[in-house]
Formats: sequence, C-alpha cells, structure tokens
Amino acid sequence: MITLTIDGRKVEAKKGETILQAARRAGLYIPTMCYLTKVKPIASCRLCVVEVEGADGFILSCQAPALDGMEVRTNSPELFSHRQNIMKLYDVNHPLECGVCDKSGACDLQNKTLEFGVDTQEFSARDHKRDLRKWQFIGYDESLCILCEKCVHVCNEVIGDDAIEIHYGGYNSRIQPKGTEELECTNCGECIAVCPVGAMISTDFQYKANAWELEKIPATCAHCSAGCALNYERKYEGALEKNEPKIYRVTNEFEFSTLCGAGRFGYDFENRVAGRDEAAFKKALEAFRKADTIRFTSRITNEEAMILQRLKEKYGYRLVNKDAGNYRKFLEAYATMSGKSLFNGSLESLADADGIIVLGTRILTDNPAVRYHITMASKRHNARVVYMHPMEDEEMKNVVTQFVKYEVGTEEGVLALLAKTMLEGKIDVKKIEGFLKDLDEGYLSAESNVGEEELEAVKTSLARCRRIALVVGEDCINHPRATQIARLAALFERFGGISVLPVAPKTNSLGVALICDLDDESEGYTIGYNTPGDFVLSSLGEGDLDMPALNQQEGTFTTLNKRVVPTNVALPFKGYVLNDIANALGVEAEFTIDYTERLPKEKGFEAVRFDDIPYYFSNSEGEVRGYELRRLKHGVDSSLEDIAELPEFNGPILYRCDPVLQFGPQTYRASQLEGEEPVLYGAQQFAVAAKLQEGMRVRVNVGGVEMERVFKIDPTLKGTIALNPTFDLGLSEDLLSSNYRYSQSKIEVVGQANE
Amino acid sequence: MARVVFSTWRGEFIDNRGKPEEEWVESEYKLPERYEADRDAKAFIGWDGFAVFDESIDVVRLGTEYAHTYQKYSEACGRCAPGRWGGRILYDLMDKIARGEGEVSDLEHLKEVSRTMMETSKCEIGRTVPKPLLDMMEHYHDTFMDLIENKKKSPDYDKEDISYIAKVTAPCMDACPTHVDIPAYIEGVRDLRYDDSLKATRKSMPLAHTCGRVCPHPCEDECRRANLDEPISIMELKRIGADYETDRGFEWLHPEEPAKEKTDKRVAIVGAGPAGLTAAYYLGVRGIQCDVYEELPVLGGEVAVGVPQYRMPIEKYNKDIELAKSVGTNFIMNTKVDAEMLRKFDKEYDATLLAFGTRLSKKVRAKNERDDMPGYWGAINFLDCVNLWVKYGIPIPQEVREQQMLDKEYVDLTGKTVVCVGGGFTSMDVVRCSIRCNADKVIMLYRRDEKTIIRNTTYEEYHEAVEEGVEFIFHSAVEEIIEDENGRLKALKVNRFELVPDPGGGRPQLVKIEGADFEIECDYLIPAVSQAADLGLLPEEWELELTSWGTLKTNGRDYMTSRKGLFAAGDCEYGPMTIVNAVGQARRAASVISRFVHTGEITLTDEEIMEDHLRRLRVYDKKEKVTGWLPGLPRQVSEKLGVDERKYNNREVNLGFTQEEAIAEAERCMRCYYIAMTAV
Repeated sequence: MITLTIDGRKVEAKKGETILQAARRAGLYIPTMCYLTKVKPIASCRLCVVEVEGADGFILSCQAPALDGMEVRTNSPELFSHRQNIMKLYDVNHPLECGVCDKSGACDLQNKTLEFGVDTQEFSARDHKRDLRKWQFIGYDESLCILCEKCVHVCNEVIGDDAIEIHYGGYNSRIQPKGTEELECTNCGECIAVCPVGAMISTDFQYKANAWELEKIPATCAHCSAGCALNYERKYEGALEKNEPKIYRVTNEFEFSTLCGAGRFGYDFENRVAGRDEAAFKKALEAFRKADTIRFTSRITNEEAMILQRLKEKYGYRLVNKDAGNYRKFLEAYATMSGKSLFNGSLESLADADGIIVLGTRILTDNPAVRYHITMASKRHNARVVYMHPMEDEEMKNVVTQFVKYEVGTEEGVLALLAKTMLEGKIDVKKIEGFLKDLDEGYLSAESNVGEEELEAVKTSLARCRRIALVVGEDCINHPRATQIARLAALFERFGGISVLPVAPKTNSLGVALICDLDDESEGYTIGYNTPGDFVLSSLGEGDLDMPALNQQEGTFTTLNKRVVPTNVALPFKGYVLNDIANALGVEAEFTIDYTERLPKEKGFEAVRFDDIPYYFSNSEGEVRGYELRRLKHGVDSSLEDIAELPEFNGPILYRCDPVLQFGPQTYRASQLEGEEPVLYGAQQFAVAAKLQEGMRVRVNVGGVEMERVFKIDPTLKGTIALNPTFDLGLSEDLLSSNYRYSQSKIEVVGQANE
Repeated sequence: MARVVFSTWRGEFIDNRGKPEEEWVESEYKLPERYEADRDAKAFIGWDGFAVFDESIDVVRLGTEYAHTYQKYSEACGRCAPGRWGGRILYDLMDKIARGEGEVSDLEHLKEVSRTMMETSKCEIGRTVPKPLLDMMEHYHDTFMDLIENKKKSPDYDKEDISYIAKVTAPCMDACPTHVDIPAYIEGVRDLRYDDSLKATRKSMPLAHTCGRVCPHPCEDECRRANLDEPISIMELKRIGADYETDRGFEWLHPEEPAKEKTDKRVAIVGAGPAGLTAAYYLGVRGIQCDVYEELPVLGGEVAVGVPQYRMPIEKYNKDIELAKSVGTNFIMNTKVDAEMLRKFDKEYDATLLAFGTRLSKKVRAKNERDDMPGYWGAINFLDCVNLWVKYGIPIPQEVREQQMLDKEYVDLTGKTVVCVGGGFTSMDVVRCSIRCNADKVIMLYRRDEKTIIRNTTYEEYHEAVEEGVEFIFHSAVEEIIEDENGRLKALKVNRFELVPDPGGGRPQLVKIEGADFEIECDYLIPAVSQAADLGLLPEEWELELTSWGTLKTNGRDYMTSRKGLFAAGDCEYGPMTIVNAVGQARRAASVISRFVHTGEITLTDEEIMEDHLRRLRVYDKKEKVTGWLPGLPRQVSEKLGVDERKYNNREVNLGFTQEEAIAEAERCMRCYYIAMTAV
C-alpha cells in the first residue's frame, strides 16, 4: 500500500490504482462524465482534472496513477472554472427536451449542469442534422449523445461484441454500428445501461415512464446460473390495473456489474393470478399425500429446494431433478479427485486469466456472463483462448486464439488428451501418471479428430501463461461419461494449478445439487413442479396449481460462481406458494425465507438470515452481494477408469442450443422476447445431409419430445450439426434439459415456413 | 532561417510590419516560405504560433481556416469534450468575426474557451490550436477590432484563390521516416481496440510485425514524453496490433479496402525486401498490378536472410509478406534481374521500381585482403547461409562450403574462432549468430568505443551480445590478414588506437598507438563494415545518375531516378540504412508511381509536400516544457529470454510486452498531435 494526500486527507491506495480510484475508495468526490468503473479510463470528459503538487498543469485523475507521498488537490477556483466551462461546452446545442427524455431525473448531464451552476448559454455553435437510429431493442439519438464513449468501451471491452464505434470528426463525431449498416450484436443492452444521457435508449421503454416514478427492486436474474444482479423497476398503475405494480424495465448497477439481454429485456415472465384457488390447493394437497415422486427443475430458489428436501425427509418422496442430478454427480466425482467439495474456478479468476480453455459449451449463448469474463481476459490480458467444440462460433472469433474441433461425443477422450498435454510431468501420483502414460493417443486422436499438432499448439500457446482457467460446459456435465470427465477435469485443478469452472446448466442447478438428496428416476405418482407430471405446479400458468414465478419470490440462488445471492419480490403473487403446501403438510415455517439460515452447512452454506445477506455496491468494495460457499475438504480417490470407447455420430446431428436472449419458457414468456420464432439453424452442409432447404418447416423428435421448427441456413456455420432450440417447449423443456445435447433425430418435412 | 513579415513561431517574436526591408529580422526557423518550387507561401500557422510571409495575408481568415481545419481534417479529434465542442466554438466565433458579425464579447469568449481547451484537452491539438489564435488576437488586435467595430467582412473572406493546406503531425510521426500515425496506434492499445491500432499502423507501415520488433525507432529520439521523463516504448507497442490479428486468425485488417478491380497499369519491382514489399502493398491497394522479381529463393530480402531468427522470427515476417501478397502481388523468385530484363521492363511495364538493396559486403581495407581466401567470409553471405538454413532449411551452396571449409550443410562453427569487424547492426547479427553456431570464441573489432557502438545499434543489442560471450575489442582495426601455407586465413594483425583530443577544440582524432599491435589467431574474418549496391544490372546506355557513394540518385522526395519512369527506393537509393527508411521511401515512391502510371506526371500530394516541410522545420522541440502530465512514470520494459535460455538456440529473445505492460505504456502517451497549415 502507498499513502497519498488528497485535499489534506491521508489516503491509502493499492499500487497501480489511479488517483481517482484512490479518491473514490476514500469517499472523496471528483466529478466525471465519462468514467466507467468497469472499463479502462476513457479520458474524454476531462472533468476529473486535479492539481498535483510538483506537477505543472492539471493532471487527469482517472488515468494518472496514485504515487506514494503525492499531494493532490481536487478542487480550487481555477479547477471549478475549467469544469464549469467544460459543462458549458457539453450543454452547447444539447436539446432541451428533458420533459420527454427517458433519462430525465437520472441524467448525468442534468446533474452536472446543476452542480456547476450552468444557468446561461454563453457559447453556441451552428448545428447540423443529426440522426435518430432505431434497431430492435436499442435506439440511438445522436443529438443527445455527449460522446463519452462508455457504450463503445463496454461493448468492446466487457461484452466482446465490438459492434459499435465512434465515427470521428470533431463536432460531427457520433456513434455508429461498426462495420455494418445496421446494428448487429447480441443485444445485451449494456450500451443503454451505461449511457449517462438519453442517447442510447431501450426502444421498448421509451416514453413509458419517468425515472422518478419507478421503484427499484434489487434482485437476481433468474435466467441462468450466473445469477447477475439486476433491478426490476416497477410502477403502480393506479386504478387501471387495480393497483398492481408492473415491471417497466430492468436496470443494472452498470459501474460494477454487467447484464445480458435476456436479463435486461426478458423480465415480465410473472404468473399473474386473481387470488387463492382453494379448490386447486386442496387437490394439490391430495396429490402430495399420494405422491411417490416430486420432479422439479432448477429454476427454483434454494429455500424451495430446502422445502422439497424437508418434504422428502418427512414423507420419503423421491426427489427428481435431472439437470441438477447430473450436475451433482459431476461435482461429487470432481470432489473425489480434487479433494475439495467444490471446484476452484470463478468468474473473477476467469477474467483475470491469461490463458483459457473452453470445452464442451457454446458459451456465448449458454452463459453470457462467462463469455463476458472471457472477453475481459482477452482484452485486458491478451489471454490465449483455446475453444474446443465440435462447432466453431463465429461470434467468439475475436477472442478465440485457437479453435480445436473434435468429433461429437468424444469429450472424454479430448479431455484425457488435453490432460496428458498439459499435466504430464506435473503429477506426483503414480496411478494417475500411469494413466496418462498409458493413454492410447493414436486411438483417441483418430476418433476425436484432435491431432498431436493441435495439442502441441495448445501447449505452446499456453506455455507462458501464469493464470490458466478451464471452462467445462454442459456437453460434459450431461455426457454419459460425465463422472469420468469430471475426474479428468479435476486433475487440472489438483495438479496444474488451473482454475476449473464447470458451468452450472440452469439457474440454480448448483443450489439444488447441494441441498437436495436427489433420486435418479421418477416412480409412481409424480408431482411435477414446472415439469410435466400427474399433478403439475406451474409458474408458467399451465398447470394444476399456479405457482409464483421467480420475479414474484424472495429467496436465494446459488450461482455458478459459488455464491449464495438474494432475490426479492418484484411483483406480488396472490396465490399459494410452496411454503403454504409444506405448512399444510406439517413442514412448518412462517416464510419461505426462514429456510435461508437452515441451508446445509455441511455443504458450505452459512447460517445467515435472509435479511442479513448483503446486497450493495460501493466504490471501495464493488459489488457486494450474497456470500461465497465454503470449500470443504473432501476424501480423495485417485483412480481413473479406462477411457470408454469413443462413440460415433454420423449424419445430421441436432445440438440443443437456444439463441441468445432465450433460456427457456421463462424468457419466452417475456413480452419483448415472446415473438421469437424457434428456428433450426444449420450449415449448407447440414441442409444437404438432412435433405432440407432454407425455409422448410420440419418436425423433429428429440428424446421423445416432438417439436416443429423452421429450418434456416446460417452461412457462418459449418458441418452437419444444427442448432436446435427448446425455449418454446413450455413445461416439456425440462424433459430434454439433462440429455446429452447432441442427438441424431428424425427430421421430417411438414411444409414451408409461411404455411 | 526564413524571411518573415511577422512571426511568433516557437517563442520568437518578429514584427517587420512597416519596416524597410533592409531592417527586417529573419526567423531562425526553417519555415516554409516557399511551398513548392514555383509557389510562394503567404503564411504558416501551427501549434506553436504563426508566421506571415506576405504582408497582404488576411490573418483573421487564416485563423478561421485554421480553426476550421481542426473540425474538418483532423481524424484525431472528437475524443474529448473541450476539444470537440471548444474547437467548434473557436471556429464559429472566428467565422462570425471574419464575416463581419462579430462582437467585442466574442473575443472574450474566444479567450475563455481557449483557456479551458489549452489546460484540459486530451491531445495536443486541443491544447495548441488556440495558441496561434491568441497570438493573432494580441498582435493583430487592431485588425480584429476594425472588423468588429465596422461590421466588416475580412478582406479574403470570399476569396477562393488562396489555398489553406493543412497537415496533422506529431513529433514522433515527423521523426519516423514513413510517418506512421503513432499516437493513433498507441491509442488503439490504450483503448483495447487492437484492430484500430493495427489499421493505424498500416496506413503507412505495412510491416507491422517487423517494425514492431527490429526497428531502431528514431521516433523514440523525438518523443515528447522524454521532456517529462522517458520516451514511450513506441516500437514495441506496434507488435500488439499485429499479434492480435495473427493470433486470432483474422482476415487482413486493411486501413483502406484494397481496390476490388485491378487497373490495366502494371509495375515491375526489383527486389522483395522491405522496400519492394511496401511498394507492392500500397500499389496493390490502389489496383495496380505489381510483379516483384527476387533473386533469392525466398521472399523478404535482408530481413529474411540478414536479420536472424532470434530477433525477427520468420513466421511473423511471413505475415507481413502475406499482407503484401494479399493485394494481388505477383512474386517471381529465383530470378536475378539483369540489364536485358530491365530494358524489357522499360517497355512492358508502366513503371519500374528498383529496390534491390545493398548486398555487397565492403572490405575492411587490410593488407592481403582477398575475397577468395578460405576463411574470409563476407557478412552478407555468412548471414545468408545461417538464415537460409535456420529459417527455411536451405543448405549452404557447395561452392561456399568448399571455400569456407565446412563439413556440414549448415554453418557449424564448433571449435572455431570468429573475428568480425564492424560496429553496426549487421556485425551484431554476425557475432550473435556465430555464438548460436557454437563458435569457440567470437571477437568483435571496432574502431571506436563502447558508447558509439551503442549509439549505432541499441543498448539491448550490445549488452545481449556481451552476455552471450562476444568479446569486444574497441579502438582496434585489422592491418593485415595472415594466411597459412595453404593460403587459408590464419591470423590477423591488429592495430590499436587511442582517442586524442583536438587542442583546437575540434573532434577528437583516432591515433594509432605505436607498438601496441597484436595478433589474433582465428579461423574466420567476417567483415561487416558496410555494404554496397550491386549496380551490375543497370543498362549502361541509360547513364543513370549515381550518388558519390555508389547508389541510385533521386531527389529524395519523389524517388524517380534520372530516367523517367524508373524509380528507386530503399538501400539501393540511400545506402545501407534501416528497414523503416526503406519503407518510408517505398511508400512515397508508390504514391508517386500510382499517379505517374495514370498521368505520366511526377507529382506530390499536398500531404506529402507538407510532410517534407515539417520535417525540415522539425516538429519535436527538445527544450519545450511539458505540462498537464504527471512526470516520473517509468517506461515499461518487456521481458527478455535469459542468456542461458537463448544462447544456443534461435528462440525470439524479446518476449514483448504483456497486455498489462502494453496498456500501462500506452497510457503514458501524451497524444502530441499538432496541426500545421500553410496558406498558398
């Protein structure tokens, strides 16, 4: 630590921190317009200039490092006058349309204009026509833009789309799509989030509400296992909606955290019911009384999972959750090899890595948050990114330094080869050393199609890396050989000093896997919770008893980042909740969240009350939300099985994969996302193999679930694997969620797209 | 020196207005009073003041145009609030006064905006554009007041016969022989937009991998950051963008899209070295078909066969070569061009560019020095033999093996003593390659001292050679080569010198120390004192003009030889010089040729004319005091392989910056863009 003086106050700073960072951590204010905490200093607004003893002129505090013994002055009449002048310049020709601007009331330009008392327009400039652009979710009003560049930086540096750029030209500068006429991106909407004025806007939200009318409900995104922080912003609509609030938009604390488009635009998936349906509730209790099995998905809170576990303990139900079940087996197998109850990887270690291997996931759509952390590693540390998958992903190209294509089904063989490449010579356990030595590389290479040269290239490219991360995806977790794959993955943690992150497939797969004692298969009378069954509890509104959706519940999720994070009620639910059923069945607690402090400590949870779980953001600590699970010691078993015969998949293959912004029935219910058509995307080569043509309507049957899709050719794809979405399948989606993602299914042409 | 009516340039104050001509004071700076041979300049305005050459110039219009330029021409701008809006307001207010609608309060507003721009702008453009305008308002106050009080248009306001020719520059850009847009490519690194970084480099430097590694970086000698602490590590930051493209397997990031259709114009280029590749790239981008003839079996010229693998890995250089290929260049290898072919080119092509370098090793001028003596091995041939094997697996030709008594198909110096005479980059390559060829003992003889050898090469190069075990003997020269009974080189008789100060205060003289001679027994003497151009290919009847040092003569601006349509660039024009020098010349030549093939005329663009004027004037001012930046931030140093890791192999020694180091270094860059403008 170093010590400097800011405005006469002694302030501590870490080496490498800037003056601005040091000041903010100490709670000292320096005005900025373009500074965005989560990206590199942009240095365009110049408001943050300060005086430094011994340095001539004004120093830009966002970029200049804090140095030991430095004396900084953040304010003086001269600094004030420069800042005021800069604000006067910012205000030149800025349209005075605050009354109809989305940003009004939460606008940095308004705030700083006020702060610096700019009450007259001393300067003017001739203006010219400025464009209004409108893309699907995102709109851009050039005349409101102050060119702070935050949107451009976040898009390139955090998201990785690199879809927008500045068109330079002095006063004529503007933001424009990069390399394309119209905006082509993954629609994360971070550009909207970071915009300090009303230039980048949500086309849906425009003219709907004033910032000050909206009430922020801090919560956790319910769509995937990243569990990102978000605010549901709601408003009561008066008599029209019988005083029921409605969510108008989702925002995020963009200085410190990031949100994808599904979280931002797919928020109104609530299940609205008129009131308590007593008859249905009675039937539900009857169903529970005779049930043998409760089958459920991982889109529930930890507390609900705990209730189900208690019900099991009391009534001996079989608890079946397929995706969490597979994940649980994966983690258990992993733990026996790593010696720790949980893996060592995290999103933070990923962003900090200088070498990354991604195996068995189409990560850009599977888990946007993981992808953003890979982007950060790539941009900031020039991380080598080895992307191993049967399909290349065009949109990952600007971070991937090596694509290794392997044959479908050969993940076990590929990981074994990778372990041999990366770990040989580092292993001090004879058995494992012998295992790697005895690998039949010729066979594995031939079957997986991953050659010696490619592996050598992986090794060379990662040779200088000091912080390597391995991301293991759902293709591995739901693989028939998942436990062996898990044990191979654990070798990287145990012997390679590599941080391993197995990406939990669904929102709360990790929580369920740790909390519930799961059974493999359903037997007898089955209650389905958000999944088909003899009696169905559903938050999708299509079951026998309505349940609240995740934006209507309070409780916690356990994220892929091993954190227990709270979510809150954004919208009321007037019906019955799971806790009501449990109480009626003698498993008693006043509130669902009473279970928060009872989550199993032997699995790493803490005995902390829901209301005591932190959820805040600060300049000194960044995002402080939830707590981290403890990693406990675990018994070690160093044995590995022989590699099973690698399977062969021939002909057209379907890969279960939702498009960006869709994660299943929840997102598909949201008003901005419900219009999306389920499309089967394949390469030209796939079309030939499956005898399909662009625009055909096809019926496919995957794992017993039938679905109709329009087939389209995606020119960026290669090979005979097509991307088959399942987000439109409602409750049935769960039936497929734990299958190995690749399948060879019958594809039947039933007509044309417009029929 | 320049004749001026008025000047505030670089702190001088000259006001000859109303004085008789014989009392005029001259400016001490090389201001561009003559724009072109037949065009006089009326005024010059820039970051450091303004100068008037023609008393009739309308300074208000001049200032207005200068402020306008900031808006119109400068791609660099638009990156900060004070610059973006302030620049616009400067222009609007100046224009308001110039068109006769100004108020006295506008002068105050101009001063106020100028003050904030000068103190807080992001780059030097914003900080310096107000400077000459303030000078004007002060020294031509009456002119301004006349327009304002009488609501009068400025005299030249509607005139269109005066050209205001502007150019954006920076001290580093000016110093770079090919004027790379250095602040832009550094900004690309700082902003984590590595594609933008590479595109900025390639605007004037197609060999981004190469000059991100082995450039002697004259830019760093004129980096303004040195006035504050240490110069930016400019060269190494160039690698970042190039590696970004290569590592991710992107398609070529061209600064401008290459012409989709080829024109019917064809150019022959002799030599596929840095100059030839550069010309081929910039001509190819403009749709001109180039045939490049290369004598060697490989492409790349001296960078391929001269510069060793450990300094310039061929995989990386090949990327630069592929870039030149990507615009449709046709390479014809293993073809030594002779006079007959040149005559043919003259008829068949629309222009010919000679870029064959200097590939004859000069002698050390010792007694008994013979090319055919076994053990006497010219540096160029020695490095050819080493590099062709190391980089391409091409064995040594039989005749060389015989002359140099080599029993393997590659250079193996086990048990041998090698003496190199030199002091420049080539000699460093020779001695360090000799170490890697496992020589027993490697000695470098140099006439001058340690300080000079470092100045002629780099600090790193010299110290790495010392670490690897090269023995340097300074103030020494070979007097005589001694052969054995079989006529093989056996030993050298070496004289020693000392530096004797000149009592008259002139340069100290090297004086031989009598009685200090000594002998070195050795197996090889490798002269690496300099190289000369092999001019055997020039048709005699063309009677091409040559320089006194035996290279092709051009005017150093358009690179045409004394024969119309025949151009020359790179070492065969300049003499042995740097890669970046060859690139700079070839880029200019390509530009001239691209117009010549269509019009038959030799012209320079205004951009190029200004480039040359500014270089004469010098953009960098060593004495300037830098403000607004925190001093004392150390220059980043990249990691190098340890001596034991590198000594006996050809791994790249300089591992380059980590991204963190690169970004930290890029953040030190002060973006010293300036705008200069000449009124003609």
